[in-house]
Amino acid sequence: MHGTDLQIAICGSAGDGTIAAGDILKRTMALMGYKVIAFDLYPAEIRGFGKCIARVRVSSEQAYSLKHHSDVLVSLHDGHAIPHVGEVRDFGAVIFDDAPIARVAEGGHMSAHVRPAQIPYGASLRAISEQASGNARGRNIAALGYLAGLYDIPPEAFQQTIMRKFAGKPEAVTEANMQAFDAGYDVGAGVFKLDDVTMEPPSYQAEGARAVMMTGNGATVRGLLDAGIECFFGYPITPATSIMERLAQEMPLRGARLLQTEDEISAIAATIGAGYAGARAATATSGPGLALMAEMLGLGVMAEVPSVIVVSQRGGPSTGMPTKTEQSDLNMAVFGASGDAQRIVLAPTNVEGCYRCAGKAFELAERHQTPVIVLLDLYLSNRYETVIPPKTNPFAPKPFEGPSVGGGPFRRFAETPTNVSPRALPGQAGGVHTITGLEHNELGRPSDLPEMHAAMSRKRHEKLIAATEHPGLTVAKRFGDEGPVPVGILGWGSTFGEILEAMFAAQAEGLPCTAMKVVMLSPLPLEHIEAFFADCTHVLVPELNYEGQFAQLICGATGKPVTRLTRATGTPMQVEDILSEVRRLAATGQPSEGETDERGLEASLS
Amino acid sequence: MGEPSRYAIIGSGSAGFGAARTIRERDPEARISLVTISSLPFYNRYDLPKLFLGVEDWRDLLAVPTEVFDMLDIQLRRASRVVEVDGRNLTIQFAHNEVMGFDRLLVCSGGGGYLPAALSDYRHLLHDFGSFEQAVVTRKAVPKGGTVIMLGGDMIGLDLAFTLVDTGHKVILVTNDHTFWPHQIAPEERGELLDALTATGIEIIDGRRPTAIEDIGGRLPRRMVFSDGTTASGNVIMAFCGQQPSVEFLLSAGIDIERGILVNTQLQSSNDAIWAAGDVCQIWSDAGKGYKFYHGWKNVRIMGEIAARNMTGAEEAFDDPDPLAIRVEDGRIWSSFWEH
Repeated sequence: MHGTDLQIAICGSAGDGTIAAGDILKRTMALMGYKVIAFDLYPAEIRGFGKCIARVRVSSEQAYSLKHHSDVLVSLHDGHAIPHVGEVRDFGAVIFDDAPIARVAEGGHMSAHVRPAQIPYGASLRAISEQASGNARGRNIAALGYLAGLYDIPPEAFQQTIMRKFAGKPEAVTEANMQAFDAGYDVGAGVFKLDDVTMEPPSYQAEGARAVMMTGNGATVRGLLDAGIECFFGYPITPATSIMERLAQEMPLRGARLLQTEDEISAIAATIGAGYAGARAATATSGPGLALMAEMLGLGVMAEVPSVIVVSQRGGPSTGMPTKTEQSDLNMAVFGASGDAQRIVLAPTNVEGCYRCAGKAFELAERHQTPVIVLLDLYLSNRYETVIPPKTNPFAPKPFEGPSVGGGPFRRFAETPTNVSPRALPGQAGGVHTITGLEHNELGRPSDLPEMHAAMSRKRHEKLIAATEHPGLTVAKRFGDEGPVPVGILGWGSTFGEILEAMFAAQAEGLPCTAMKVVMLSPLPLEHIEAFFADCTHVLVPELNYEGQFAQLICGATGKPVTRLTRATGTPMQVEDILSEVRRLAATGQPSEGETDERGLEASLS
Repeated sequence: MGEPSRYAIIGSGSAGFGAARTIRERDPEARISLVTISSLPFYNRYDLPKLFLGVEDWRDLLAVPTEVFDMLDIQLRRASRVVEVDGRNLTIQFAHNEVMGFDRLLVCSGGGGYLPAALSDYRHLLHDFGSFEQAVVTRKAVPKGGTVIMLGGDMIGLDLAFTLVDTGHKVILVTNDHTFWPHQIAPEERGELLDALTATGIEIIDGRRPTAIEDIGGRLPRRMVFSDGTTASGNVIMAFCGQQPSVEFLLSAGIDIERGILVNTQLQSSNDAIWAAGDVCQIWSDAGKGYKFYHGWKNVRIMGEIAARNMTGAEEAFDDPDPLAIRVEDGRIWSSFWEH
């Protein structure tokens, strides 16, 4: 990557202002015209203990994931930050408080842990804040000032972001933070810089002025709004809660309705009910919520009612790890319900993709009369990226125009060439029909005749096949080298950023490599996937779960072997891990022992 | 097996690092902490004149690769200022509010540049060369062909002066009692040595007493004013008037200190758990019946190694080495001080 490519990690304890400092940093960098990817890790507890880390990658060119090694670590709490010193690259910087007010236990100070090839910068962050603003609460902002001074980043952009951050608070709060920043800046600017971290001015392009910082959840909200969401029903759950919170601010302004229900079962029931009534309706939840929704999801499939369910995965099973990321709800998203309940599942791979998938989800749900799941995970939901909003709304307006009424009773579930039946809203003249969770005939009336169940099952499945060719939606996309290659990397969801970075790194090492993202997980775009397999001697599938759920899905669908690379740590995949497997596969054709296994159709079916 | 011994070494120069490496060789289980206020790993300060030869990156000055500290399992604590040593409880107090215990301590904190009291008010107008950071600042302040006024001219300064002259700079040496420090020069030898400096290209101002330093701006922003009213101007003024032992953090350590830490021939202080090596210590000389400083880069390194061996059970004396020698060879000054 040319130009700036810098990753800064800020680590502190809950209550230290770690995430707030990271937020100011990333917004400032975006404001200056850099590309930014940022991701915060924080404890499930609200305040008082627990580790928080804000990581911000700042680059001149588009980056696709966080880097494994940060260039700079800012410690606001040595006890939490010391375990992360090893994540700082050689000749990178470690900034820490060299005058903490409390007695430090022997060996508990950062200076004892900075690696010999790293550069320690001790700064009296607490004292700087206290002297400048009268209290130590601006220690995090003083650290930002120090950072800006050390790396010669113009302070004006920071000051602008700080003003915005504290807008609405008493003026004294803003003033104190500005003073802490300025004081930190002066100290940082006077420090002799010994590391080799550099920042070049951003290459500000015309589109840069329109760039905004957005999370995956934020982009999902924008997508739902631009697609004309009319009803939202939800129950709070990490990491999906912010979707409802933001919709609650926006939807009433647009005449739309949002209701916090008593639980997830009610939320999806109301969503399906609204969809049945013709509204563009959605809900959002996480894995535990999706588990509760499974029965009603089946109703949506059986009754062929459009609805959108946004699922942001977190560590599981059960309550699991609410604030840690995982890609382990794939099976439940694709298969979770009683019976053969095929539905459409979209898994965006970046923040912009969240916008597109959320926006397209309503179109798909209506065109194919089925629930559509938009599958995110915490890493994507909470990850910030700079994105360029479209100049015009790319999503089709609600297409429903009422039933095409012919003679006789309305055949709501009639077989058609597309397997998509005519649809009527309740109460529409000529559209009277029965709707039920029971298997039914074309009129919707209950029927358990063998031939009827077979026909309806086929219809419910085959009507979705065309979804893989939905206009304006990327269901799968290949990157990197074209034609035959020794190793291809197949990925989905948030992990694909790391996959792309690994692919670029492999290419830079001279290893021919390709990668494909699969956005539509159900139904699978098999034509794309099989073409990918045809070109790759080995297919590596990295994902954040223990079992290799996507690998199983691919093996089952293609009958082809893959090499799995699974991680269930609650943290994002590491580029180096993927790259290491690519190297190994390219060199030996064998996966690393204990890390991956190669299983074919037999294994996946056994 | 008991707990491994905890060795603390204050100072990460050649004495400190040499001691740490020697301790590791003799005690594989030891916990070794090398403490320094510097932000950089071990580099040779006598290589700093290389900055005027085009070296810009501190990594090019490293005495050992950074990996060596891990290989030897030496904890390197940089950016750590020691504010106090408690010789009774065997602890080190850091400025960052941490107390570290030790079983044996070696102090090799070296010395800071000495400045005659008459000029102490002008310290802020002087440039330093004692660390990489200071050396870089000084180099940036001296343009190509620029002028350096050197007060005193100890052997550290003269080493730099030769490099400056060799790289096309002008050096004005203002002599005083510290010229050629730590050599003690007999009056009859002084003239020959000064002539040798002049022959090398160094301009000598001898016998004039500086009374003030001024910031006058312009092309040569520093001006030295002499008692006779004359002046000399340069881009920078640097004082090289010998070393002053850095012992201020030891004042309550309960060890005997005169100008430096007083140690016996085995480099052990009046506290059995504390040793000292290098420019910070005065060593008992049986021959001289008194405590003496032993300067010179080679002596410093050897002291560190001997102290380390003694801390790990040996009983080795730092015997009076050959006195430092200085002479003129082929028109240039040679000194055993500069031997590594």
